[in-house]
Amino acid sequence: MDGYNEGLALTRPIHIDYPQAVPASYYIDPKACLHLTENTCKICVPVCRSRAIDFTQTEKIEELQVGAVVVAPGFGRVPDSTLAKYGYGQHPDVVTSLEFERLLNPSGPYQGQVLTMSDRRHPKRLAFIQCVGSRDLGCDNGYCSSVCCMYAIKEAMVAKEHDPELDITIYYMDMRTQGKDFDAAQKRAESQFGIKFVRAKVADVMPWGKKGLKLTYSTLNGGHHFEPFDMVVLSVGLDSPKDAQAIAQTLDIKLNRYDFCDTSAFTPLNTSREGIFVAGAFQGPKDIPESVTQSSAAAGIASALLKQQRGAGYVVKSYPNERDIKDEEVRIGVFTCHCGINIGGVVNVPSVDQYAGGMENVVYHSESLYSCSQDAQEVIKQKIKEHKLNRVVIAACSPRTHEPLFQETLKDAGLNRSLFEMVNIRDQCSWVHAQEPEAATRKAMDLIRMGVAKARGIKPLAEQTVPVTAKAVVIGGGVAGMTAALTLAEQGFHTTIVEKEAALGGNLLVIKKTILGVDTEKTLKAMIEQVKKTKLITVLTKAELLDVSGFVGNFSSVIRLADGQENTIDHGVIILATGGKEHTPQTVLGKELPASEAIITQRELETRLNAKGKKLPDSVVMVQCAGSRGDDLSYCSKVCCNHAVKNALTLKDKNPKAQVIVLYRDLRTYGYAEEKYREARERGVIFIPYSLDAKPEISKKGKAVEVRFFDPLLGEEVTVNPDLVVLSVGIVPQGTEVLSKLLKVPVTADKFFLEAHVKLRPVEMPVDGVYVCGLAHSPKPLDETVVQAQAAAAKAAMPLVKGMVKVDPIVSHVDKEACIGCGLCVSLCPYKAIQMLTSEDKKKRAETIVASCKACGICASHCPTFAISMGGFTNEQIFSQIEAFGKSIEDKL
Amino acid sequence: MNQAPEFNPRILGFLCNWCCYAAADAAGVSRYQYPPNLRTIRVMCTGRLDPVFVIKGLIEGADGIFTGG
Amino acid sequence: MTQAVKSAKSAPATGSGAVMVLGGGVAGVQAALDLTDLGYYVYLVEKSAAIGGAMAQLDKTFPTNDCSL
Repeated sequence: MDGYNEGLALTRPIHIDYPQAVPASYYIDPKACLHLTENTCKICVPVCRSRAIDFTQTEKIEELQVGAVVVAPGFGRVPDSTLAKYGYGQHPDVVTSLEFERLLNPSGPYQGQVLTMSDRRHPKRLAFIQCVGSRDLGCDNGYCSSVCCMYAIKEAMVAKEHDPELDITIYYMDMRTQGKDFDAAQKRAESQFGIKFVRAKVADVMPWGKKGLKLTYSTLNGGHHFEPFDMVVLSVGLDSPKDAQAIAQTLDIKLNRYDFCDTSAFTPLNTSREGIFVAGAFQGPKDIPESVTQSSAAAGIASALLKQQRGAGYVVKSYPNERDIKDEEVRIGVFTCHCGINIGGVVNVPSVDQYAGGMENVVYHSESLYSCSQDAQEVIKQKIKEHKLNRVVIAACSPRTHEPLFQETLKDAGLNRSLFEMVNIRDQCSWVHAQEPEAATRKAMDLIRMGVAKARGIKPLAEQTVPVTAKAVVIGGGVAGMTAALTLAEQGFHTTIVEKEAALGGNLLVIKKTILGVDTEKTLKAMIEQVKKTKLITVLTKAELLDVSGFVGNFSSVIRLADGQENTIDHGVIILATGGKEHTPQTVLGKELPASEAIITQRELETRLNAKGKKLPDSVVMVQCAGSRGDDLSYCSKVCCNHAVKNALTLKDKNPKAQVIVLYRDLRTYGYAEEKYREARERGVIFIPYSLDAKPEISKKGKAVEVRFFDPLLGEEVTVNPDLVVLSVGIVPQGTEVLSKLLKVPVTADKFFLEAHVKLRPVEMPVDGVYVCGLAHSPKPLDETVVQAQAAAAKAAMPLVKGMVKVDPIVSHVDKEACIGCGLCVSLCPYKAIQMLTSEDKKKRAETIVASCKACGICASHCPTFAISMGGFTNEQIFSQIEAFGKSIEDKL
Repeated sequence: MNQAPEFNPRILGFLCNWCCYAAADAAGVSRYQYPPNLRTIRVMCTGRLDPVFVIKGLIEGADGIFTGG
Repeated sequence: MTQAVKSAKSAPATGSGAVMVLGGGVAGVQAALDLTDLGYYVYLVEKSAAIGGAMAQLDKTFPTNDCSL
C-alpha cells in the first residue's frame, strides 16, 4: 500500500515515499516485507549491488543531551467511524479530502486525473461535505478545525481546472474563510469557477442507482432535500495526533480536553513544562502559515532560554575550495529535467537533451526525472567533477524558486555558485503550452540555446558580506510590539520601542478578557512593567519615525521624540507592529447608518459591560460584518464573531434575562472559540443568518431603533425594537501607508502590510531586515498576535546573531577606469546604492554600495561609457542571448 | 499550397524578475494557456534594458519585442 | 518516537546548547531551520522515513494555489 497516496495506489515493499523525499533513501515497509512478516524471501539482499540491505539491524535507543525541545508532531486522523456516517468505507466514491488531494495531484494514483474509485469514470457531479469530524460533539470534537473551508475551496477550484464541466457543490454550516485574503478566494470560487455553496446539514450519503450516490440534507427552513452525485468528498477535520497521550506522558506535558497541547493566550507556545515548546497543529488545529509562524516563534523562545549556550556544538557547513577556472576552456554541462510528467508529459525531453548535446562548448548533457531530488544533486556534483564542467545549465522549473538549491550544489562541487544558469521549461513552457507538445519542445530548445549562450559568458563572482549593528527598532508599543521587544531583549539584543501614544498597551488597554476567559488586564499590566524594567529595552512614547535610510544590518532611523527633538538611531533590523483600530463604518449593510445613541460598536459595548453600576440593556441586536465583507471594507476582520459571542455571554452573565439576537453571515468562531458559540446558543442567545439579498435594515424610530430582518427559520420578516443595536465593525490597519513609503515595503489592497510569502515567510517583509507582526499584518486575536510577534523577533534576531549579512553578487560593479564621474547613475539609482567618491587622482568616480544595491541595472543601462556591469547580467551575456534567439531552429525545420 | 502560410511571429521578451517573470511563473502554476511564440530573457528589472537590446533583437529577426516590468 | 524523547526528561537547562525538534512536518522543519539560523545545533526527530509531513502530500496551497512541494 502506498501511504503517501493515502492507500489509493500500490507501491513496492521497498520504496521511497515520493521522488523529492528527504532523505531520498529507500526503506523497507515492515508491514509488507515477506521476510519480516513471514520470515521468507530475502531476495533483495543478494540483488543489491551496494550490499545496503542488512536485516540484522535492530532498533537502537540513543541518549541525547539537549537544552530545549520543540514538539511538533502535527495532527491525527478523525476516526473512520465518524466518516462511516457519510458512507465512507461502504461506497468507494465517498473519499476523504486528503484522498481527493492525492487524486488531483499529478504524482497521484491517476496522474492527476479525477476519476471515480469505483469504475474509473470521470465524475460529472461532485459534492463536498464540510465539518466532518469538526464542530461535532458526536465524535467529541467540539472545536472547528480552521482549515477545511480553505482546502475544500482550493480542491474544488483545482478540480474545476482539471475538468471545467465538473459540477461542484459545497455543503457547509458557516464558510470560515477568515484569514488574510481568504474571502476573496471564496468569491473567486463562486463567481469565476461557478462552484456552488449551500448552507445545509448533510444527514447521510446512500448508494443511488447503479453507480451513483444520493446525498440527503436539510436546510435552515427545515426542508429536507436530496441530490444525486458521482463522488462525495468529506472535508475531514484535524484530530489530535494518535499518540498524543504517549507524547504527553513521555514529555510530562499537559494536554487539553481534546488531546491537543495545553497552552495559554499570552504564552501560546509554552507547554506546562519549562524548556519544552510546542508548534504547529499539535498546539491546536491550524493552517500552514500559522504553523510556520509558530515554529519560528518557538525557535525564538528556545533561543532566548539557551542564549548562554548559543553556538555550543554548532557545526558550520564547509565547502571544498573553489576551483580556479580562469585558464580553463568553457565546459558546459546541460541537465534537462522531466519534473515527473510536468515537463516530460509535454516537452519531448530526450530530443531536447540531444539538441543540447550538439551545442558548442557543451561537453556533457543528460536528463533526469526530478533534478531537484537529492540523488539527482549527487549526480550533478559527480558529473561536474568527472567532466571538469565549469558552467552548469539546468533546464527545469523557475530560478525564482530553485536557483539557490542548485547554486548550493555547485558550491559543494567546488564551483563558484555564479557559474550557473537556469532555463525555465516548466512554468513558462510545458505548463502553458500543454496542448502543443511540438511547439513547446521547440520553445524549450530555443530557451536552452539562449541559456547556454548566456552561460558561456558567466564569470565567477565573489560573495560579499557586510557587518551588522546588533540592535533592533520596533514600531508600535501594543502587545505585538512589546512581545517582539521582549523576545529580542531576552536573546540579548538591545531594542527601541517607538510608540506614538503616551502609554504602552495599544488595543488591549480597553479589553479585560479573551473569549476563552483569559484575564488580559492583569497580564498586560505585568507585560508593561516587564518592558519598562528590562535594561535592553528603550521605550520612546509620543514618538514618531520620520525617516529610515540604509539596509539590513545597517539602518539609520530618525525619530521625533515627545519633546519635539529629533534623534537618530543606528540599528540592524526593524519590526513593524503599528497595529490596527476599530473601523468607523460609513456604509452598513449597503446603506448609510442612522445616527443614534442606541447604535454602538462591540468595543463600546464591552466598555459598558466592564463599567461598574451601569444599567445594562435588556435587549440587544448584534449585527455582524457591519461595514465589512462588502460594505466599506471588503475583507473579514477575523475577530468580530468571537468578540460578539464574548460580549453576548458577558451580558448574559450580568443580566440573564437580556434577550440577545446575533444577525450574521457566517459565524466564524474557529478553533476552540466554537465551544463558546455552542455555549451562547445553549444559554439562549439567538443566532440568525442573513444573506446578501436580504440584508437586515436598521432604522431610527424617534429615540428608539428598529431592526428588520428575514428569519429563515420562520420564513418571514421580523421587526424588533431593541434597547441597543451593537455593530461588529471590523478592524483597519494603522500607520501602514506612511511606513510603506518610508521603507519601500508593499501593502495589500486593504492597506495591511504584505509579507514576503503568505505561506512560507509570513512575518518577513520583501525588504531584507524588515519584519511585521500584529494587526498591521492582518486582523487577528491575541494569541495569534503574540505568536506572530515572537516569530518576527526570532527572524529579526537571525542577522543580529550572525553579525554580518551576505550580499548576492549580482549587484552592479563600476569599472573605475571607464567611469568619467558624470554622476548620472547616482541620480538615477532608486535605492541610493551608488555614491561618488573622490579617488586618488582627485577625480570623482562612482562606487556601488553593495548592500543597498538591488541589482535592477538602471545604472548599467544608462551609463554613457558602459562602465557599469551587472553581475550575472552583463551586456555581453544579454547580447549573446539575443544572438542565440536569432539562430532559431525553426528555420532549419 | 493555395493558402498563404499563417503568420507565426517570433517575439523576444525581457521580463523583470520581480514582477513579470514572477507573473509568468504564476500563469504556469495556474496552467493558463497562451501561444508559444515568446522567447524570454530574465533581467533583474526592466531598468536594465538598454535600447540597444531592443534594436539588436529586431536585427536578429524578432517580429516584436515584449518588455514586462 | 516515545523512545527517542526519553532523554528530554532531564532538567531543561542541562548546559547543552542543542535543541531537539520532535516531528518533521512543515512546523518541525521550519523550527529546525530557524534554530540553526539562530546558532543552535538541532536534532530533528521524525518517525517516518522522510521529512515533509502532511504538506508533502498537498498539490497546491490556498489561496494562491502555489505549488506545495
